[in-house]
Amino acid sequence: MNNARPVTIIMVEDDDGHARLIEKNIRRAGVANEIVPFTNGTDALAYLLGPDGSGLVNKGRQLLVLLDLNLPDMTGIDILEKVKGNEHTKRSPVVVLTTTDDQREIQRCYDLGANVYITKPVDYDGFANAIKQLGLFFSVMQIPETD
Amino acid sequence: MPITSKTFVRSTAILLLVGLLALVGIVGTSVWLADRSQVYLDEVTEARIARRAAVDLRASLLDMESSQRGYLLTLEETYLEPYQQARPRALEQVEALKQVLAPYDVAAEPVRQLEADVTFKLKEMDTTIALARSNEVAEAIARVRTDEGQQAMTAIMGFIDALITAVDNRLVEGVGNQRSTGEALRLVSLIGGLVILMVVAGAIWAVLSYTQELANARRAVEEANASLEERVRERTSDLGKANEEIQRFAYIVTHDLRAPLVNIMGFTAELETSVEEVRSYMDTQPVDEADPVASQARLAATEDLPEAITFIRAATRKMDGLINAILKISREGRRQLNPEPVELSEVVETSAAAVHHQVADNDGDIQSDIRVGKMITDRLSIEQILGNMLDNAIKYQEPGRPLRVSIRARHVPGNRVIIEIEDNGRGIAETDHERVFELFRRSGSQNNPGEGIGLAHVRTMVRSLGGDVTLTSRLGEGTTFIINLPRDSRGFIGRLGA
Repeated sequence: MNNARPVTIIMVEDDDGHARLIEKNIRRAGVANEIVPFTNGTDALAYLLGPDGSGLVNKGRQLLVLLDLNLPDMTGIDILEKVKGNEHTKRSPVVVLTTTDDQREIQRCYDLGANVYITKPVDYDGFANAIKQLGLFFSVMQIPETD
Repeated sequence: MPITSKTFVRSTAILLLVGLLALVGIVGTSVWLADRSQVYLDEVTEARIARRAAVDLRASLLDMESSQRGYLLTLEETYLEPYQQARPRALEQVEALKQVLAPYDVAAEPVRQLEADVTFKLKEMDTTIALARSNEVAEAIARVRTDEGQQAMTAIMGFIDALITAVDNRLVEGVGNQRSTGEALRLVSLIGGLVILMVVAGAIWAVLSYTQELANARRAVEEANASLEERVRERTSDLGKANEEIQRFAYIVTHDLRAPLVNIMGFTAELETSVEEVRSYMDTQPVDEADPVASQARLAATEDLPEAITFIRAATRKMDGLINAILKISREGRRQLNPEPVELSEVVETSAAAVHHQVADNDGDIQSDIRVGKMITDRLSIEQILGNMLDNAIKYQEPGRPLRVSIRARHVPGNRVIIEIEDNGRGIAETDHERVFELFRRSGSQNNPGEGIGLAHVRTMVRSLGGDVTLTSRLGEGTTFIINLPRDSRGFIGRLGA
């Protein structure tokens, strides 16, 4: 990952435990980037698109969104739609990380522009492994600045 | 007034009977009156004959008398001619009168008197003529002057006048009778006609009201039918919604149950790692028996904590299995069933071939006797049902006894198909016959791994195809599963929103 212009990982996850486990395993993979956690969709959207909803607030930053679909106030799909529909944030990679493995849901997410869709494995070893690999993946992927 | 079919039949029968009686009455009365008429006519004719005979007799006698008198005055034979002509006529006429009046007893005496009088008169006239002819005119006139002949003649005329009067009376009476008979006939015909008219009107009314009643009943039935269909549609749609709700509920619940489970498992793993680290550290420290706190901490790190973690892991693993099972069933319920022509014998063959190795390992075999053709149903469901059944038969076979499985299929009335899967496995206790179809319930010794979802799943699938599954079994001898399916599931699939 480009350390000169640090990538910020936006983690939208309503379950604190999951958030903590994800963070731990990403760190174990050697990723030291800042992780900004959100437990509900409203706050996450406010951060991503700014209070005015234009997305200009994050101009020039590199953002990577880790998105859970089951949120208390909205579904992750709403957030995905808004992020990918905003001209400033549409190039930011969105990784959907959720428990749902319904085929239609997965298709819908990719249709809306999700970059990666990962189902949370229930057994912890699988889960930890997946997150670690995701972290490794983060460390090599190129992320554009928002404009 | 509503009219039931029973009262309709009864009232129609009564009306017909009344009509028949009226008709019979009219006909009977007519015949009787015609007879009476004939009798009157005969009587009138008779009376006329009698009257005529009497009048003729009178004329003949008067002719003879004037002829006799003329001869006595002139003694010319020509005056005697009418006498000669009328004499036999008078006798004939007396005879005719006798015949006509013969049936009347009352007339017998006067007729005899008449006959005597006529005979006397004829004799008197014959005598006077004979006297005159033998030139004893004075004697003859003396005979006439005795008034014997005149008296006889008066008696005869009296009889004849009486007879004519009687006959005339009789004629008037006859005409009166005839008229009253005609009157009676007209009255009877009128009343009878009226009755028949009423009967016809009554019959028409009964038929009309009965028809009306029938039409009403049919309309009511049609309405009931329509509302029934509507209600069935509503209920079906309600059921479909409820079913969908349950499916969605199960799906959501399992997902929401999974999230905390991930945490439990995750942090248990983290805990395990931490405990491992603590234990390694403990191992590097010298054992200090004197310090009870240190030895308890060591015990916790090396024994209590790992044991607790093991139990937590086992429990979470089990829970994970159950959640996955529910998820599988709920997902199966959400799957879109696809009715297509399915050759049952092919599916059975494929399913049997899939488990052939496992069955052959223990000298077992699978027989099939499929007597049904193509079914319209969901192929995948049928495959899964049969696969599940065969898996169960293999899983729960009686140890030491070669497995025998027999799959039979046949048609039953109602366009349905019965599939029977019989095995000689360990069987299912009577108390568990219904229970085995419930989710997470298993029967007998739990020496095989499993979550107890197989049969629940089978029942769900069979029911979503519009069928049902039951079993008969004897513990230790074997089990027969009986699956009853519609031959064409199109009418059932999708109905319940499955």
